[in-house]
Amino acid sequence: MEEKTKAGSKRTKLGFWKWAIASIVLRLILSYFSKYLNLSSRPEVSTPLTSLRRLAEGYWLKQLSISPYSGSMYHGSPLLLSILGPLTAKKIEGHASHLLCSLVSVIADFISAILIRATGHILVTAHGHSLKALGLDKLFKDTVEILPSGDIAALVYLWNPFTIISCIGFNTSPIENLFVILSLYGASAGLVPLAAFGWVIASHLSLYPLVLVIPVIFLLGYGLDAPPRKLFVQSNLLVGEERSKDQVGVKNKPIKTTNFAWRRVVLFFFWATIWITYVLILCAISMKDYGGLAEMFKRTYGFTLTVKDLSPNIGVLWYFFAEVFDFFRNFFVIVFHVNILFMILPLAIRLNHRPCFLVFVYLAISSMLKSYPSVGDSALYLSLLVLFVNELSEMKLSFFLFCGYVGVSLLSPVMHNLWIWRGTGNANFYFATAMAYASFQIILVVESVSAMLNYDRKIRKLCTTPL
Amino acid sequence: MAETEPAVKSKPRPIMRISLFLVSHSLLFSVVCCTAGIVALLILPLLAKNTYISENALMPGSASPMLSNDDASDGYRFYNRIMDLDAKTTIAGNEIPELIAEHIKELDGEVNYHKFLPISNKFHPLHFFLGPDAGIIQENFTCSSYGINTVGIIRAPRGDGKEAIVLVTPYNSTKITTGEALSLGIAYSVFSLLSRVTWLAKDIIWLASDSKHGEYAAVSAWLRDYNTLSFGDLKLQDEMCSPSISNGFRRAGTMAAALIIKVADSSMEFEKDNLKIYAEASNGQMPNLDLINIVNYLAVHGQGLQVRVEKIWSLLDSWWLKILGQLLELLGSVAKTLNPQWKFGIPVADYVEGSATLASSLYNQALGVPTGPHGAFRDYQVDAITMEISPKFYSSQRALFLLRVGRLIEGVVRSVNNLLEKFHQSFFLYLMTSPSRFASVGVYMIAFALLVAPLPLVATSLFSDASNSKPEKDEISSKSLPTFTSWKWLSAAKTVLFVHLWSATVTLLPYFISKIPNSTPSFNFLSWIELSLASFLFMYAIPGSFSSSSTTQPQRNEWALLKSVTIAAAFIGLCLMSVINFATAEIGALLLVPMCLTVLPLRLDLKEKPVRAFVRRACNVLLVFLGFPPIIFLLLKGALDGFSSVGFGDFWNWAESLWAWNSATYIYMCMVHLPCWVLCIRTLLHRC
Repeated sequence: MEEKTKAGSKRTKLGFWKWAIASIVLRLILSYFSKYLNLSSRPEVSTPLTSLRRLAEGYWLKQLSISPYSGSMYHGSPLLLSILGPLTAKKIEGHASHLLCSLVSVIADFISAILIRATGHILVTAHGHSLKALGLDKLFKDTVEILPSGDIAALVYLWNPFTIISCIGFNTSPIENLFVILSLYGASAGLVPLAAFGWVIASHLSLYPLVLVIPVIFLLGYGLDAPPRKLFVQSNLLVGEERSKDQVGVKNKPIKTTNFAWRRVVLFFFWATIWITYVLILCAISMKDYGGLAEMFKRTYGFTLTVKDLSPNIGVLWYFFAEVFDFFRNFFVIVFHVNILFMILPLAIRLNHRPCFLVFVYLAISSMLKSYPSVGDSALYLSLLVLFVNELSEMKLSFFLFCGYVGVSLLSPVMHNLWIWRGTGNANFYFATAMAYASFQIILVVESVSAMLNYDRKIRKLCTTPL
Repeated sequence: MAETEPAVKSKPRPIMRISLFLVSHSLLFSVVCCTAGIVALLILPLLAKNTYISENALMPGSASPMLSNDDASDGYRFYNRIMDLDAKTTIAGNEIPELIAEHIKELDGEVNYHKFLPISNKFHPLHFFLGPDAGIIQENFTCSSYGINTVGIIRAPRGDGKEAIVLVTPYNSTKITTGEALSLGIAYSVFSLLSRVTWLAKDIIWLASDSKHGEYAAVSAWLRDYNTLSFGDLKLQDEMCSPSISNGFRRAGTMAAALIIKVADSSMEFEKDNLKIYAEASNGQMPNLDLINIVNYLAVHGQGLQVRVEKIWSLLDSWWLKILGQLLELLGSVAKTLNPQWKFGIPVADYVEGSATLASSLYNQALGVPTGPHGAFRDYQVDAITMEISPKFYSSQRALFLLRVGRLIEGVVRSVNNLLEKFHQSFFLYLMTSPSRFASVGVYMIAFALLVAPLPLVATSLFSDASNSKPEKDEISSKSLPTFTSWKWLSAAKTVLFVHLWSATVTLLPYFISKIPNSTPSFNFLSWIELSLASFLFMYAIPGSFSSSSTTQPQRNEWALLKSVTIAAAFIGLCLMSVINFATAEIGALLLVPMCLTVLPLRLDLKEKPVRAFVRRACNVLLVFLGFPPIIFLLLKGALDGFSSVGFGDFWNWAESLWAWNSATYIYMCMVHLPCWVLCIRTLLHRC
């Protein structure tokens, strides 16, 4: 997974396109054979929300003038149904119908990688600028070169086994990931309409990206990831004093603006409203004969929030709600979802100077607590994590986490096999791996956040100690 | 902040303190744990418990047997007719099935023939993981290449047709032996009784399987067709070379249990008739212990048979096992004098016998190859065992023999008939030390857990040593600036990843080698090794895959990181395998753990005495030498069967049988053991 990060800055810089194309070729080859791999029926890969087989079913229902949501088969967006539906039914020259959809996934993955790369470039530039602003650039330059985190993150996204599996696993999570990344890219590049578009579509498709509105606002309002803002004020003063002492006459201009750009945020909300209205109108048109928008909300977001489908997946909710008494069910549904919301505010306050990192933290938390998680979610947040490879270079327990992810992702199918096929295990075996997976995610979030905060502390120490 | 940090560090949480303590004493801990693990394995026969019937509904032996002398003599007549048929004609293959079908019809049973084709040995090592599915029928065949199973079904008067019990009698339709004919006779006498009784709640299926193409193939072909909904059932039966009865594929309900009845040739070795139970299915899966318990209970207490399970005979005479047994007996008696409540001593003979049985049980489970046609049932989650009865009689007592064995079968069927649910009450994961003693998963897991427990600890201690010992650079800059020290392991991880990728190619190579026509096993084995080496060199030639890419970095601790990652990989692999097939993981851990833990670079200078250094190096080389799968296989085979019989190609034959039977052991050997071995060699040869 992360073997590419090692390869060093120079080589990845040179070899990005080579490796990217190699990964695309690998995907195309694998998707040609995906019939034999039978990944689309794995619970780790496709969930009730993302499975394209369900989408094909919904499409057929719609062709027969029945509501696509009837029979609890399909739970995705009606827009996806109109766009991807025809592809699931089309065959090219006798090949199975999954090829076209796989092609869409491959393209989505590639675009995502390119967007991650662009975001990474922007972040690295911002990183360099802020270091320069603090007067630390010289210090860093002699000892450590700044890695091109965008290239590395894009390659990690492309070569992550999780991404590859979810790409050829015949589901829609590559597309959902694409819109999340699109929103992040739009926000970090300052393209307000694009950010709003990505956010609206991502939230429309999978609901949980709704929480990303906070980091996106920070990104638009405060600008890109940087060390805490008060450092700039201090260092401006320091530098200003020194400069005024050394060279009289050189203007001391503030390098970083610390005020909140209200205008862009308002613009973002304006665009978001436009896109929401647009999406809702389109949905209303396509749901006109089948119960309208209310039906859609009930069958998509309602299905997500009330955890109706208790078939096993790699999350922790299915087991819990299979066991819980019915009259407690509503209470626990609320508790579990509020859990995500509870963590939003403290994190937003603590990490408001690093909005992109905040995106990673939010995505990791929601993929841990969402009702139907799949490996596609981890694929997304793992590659976002690599965007901060420069800042997280001191992260602890990385090897432990790596082993944990490898171990759990191998153990999970084995336990599933033991439970379903051999009958010698039971649901507890499989759920144990799901819990282990959740724990590893928690450790990952905790360690990465503390590494990030330590990095900030270190910067502050370097700033305050006179050189 | 700088003041608070040491204060925090001085008092970490208790769990952290314990783990830090363990990591810092990892050498002592690993020696203690490994020894304890091996000792725990050796005293497993002591820890084994007596079996007991766990499911109350079974109630074995509570009803008196109804099988009368008449039924037995019917069976005997049936046996005689089959033997006559065999003597009279050169059989085309249809006569015996027709005879059986005719008799079943007379008993008002339903009957049909099931035709099947042999399935050639295919290379599908990952098949065990996907569950059973329909095989591919080959294209060109003749009528005589068909095997014909005869299936008779009695509908239960009290049942709803949803459940069934299966009796299987394999026989070779082209050349039937006395034993096979006797087993058919037993099945017929039981079947004729069951067609009359009123208490039957589950349908009875009698499968007289044609073992022309192997006992397993016939049963698995029938099971596959039974469990797949095939529209071609009728069409298949109506083809040209079908016998007179062709009335579609008949099914009863889901199978509760299956008994495979075999009669071995008579032996004078034991004083009584004896019953041998085979239970190991593919990948070390076992039927529910209750099934073995009721057979054992009824055979011993009901019919006075002597029950045995398989054991490794050569171990019975081994001197070291006897000494160990004496030692344990002595310990037991000493403990008993201290406290009369402690009763863990067992006699030497019991211990040796238990160990031999346990070793056979471990080996058969680890092999992952089913020991009989019952293995086919386990793939469909049906509990099944093979009962091989070797009679001790003169030909005049055959009717009596039929009576006794018939009553045993009847008792088992009656017990299973009482069952309300699937077998679930007793253990699925166990090792037998005798027909009436077993070691359950909770007991034998301890040995394995102790054996692998040092792996993560040593990995952690090596890892923390390697990443904490900083290069002797300027202290200030390394203290204050990011230096990627915590990501140094990535280079080692990359090496490990490449070795594992290589091992995947090695795993797939036999697929191509087995396509070579007319080749001897030795040649195949040699070409396997050569191709593996070639692919290894090819991978080595890829720049940056093996060579330490960053030559500027200090290489001093590189081997430690590599060893740490190797150990972590071995740990993950062993834990994974212990879930898939425990016995493989146990045997694999015995080989892999000492090798991985002790390996150190040969050129490493630890400033120790020359003798000690020599011993360490010799140990390393010896363990690595033994760690190579073919070598350890050939050595073990030689030790057990005598070295004269060991051939160079034996390993290839063994590996071929593993992948042909979809054994996960093959995957383990190639994708966990082999890469770890290669990485150990890499550590051994590391330049310091």
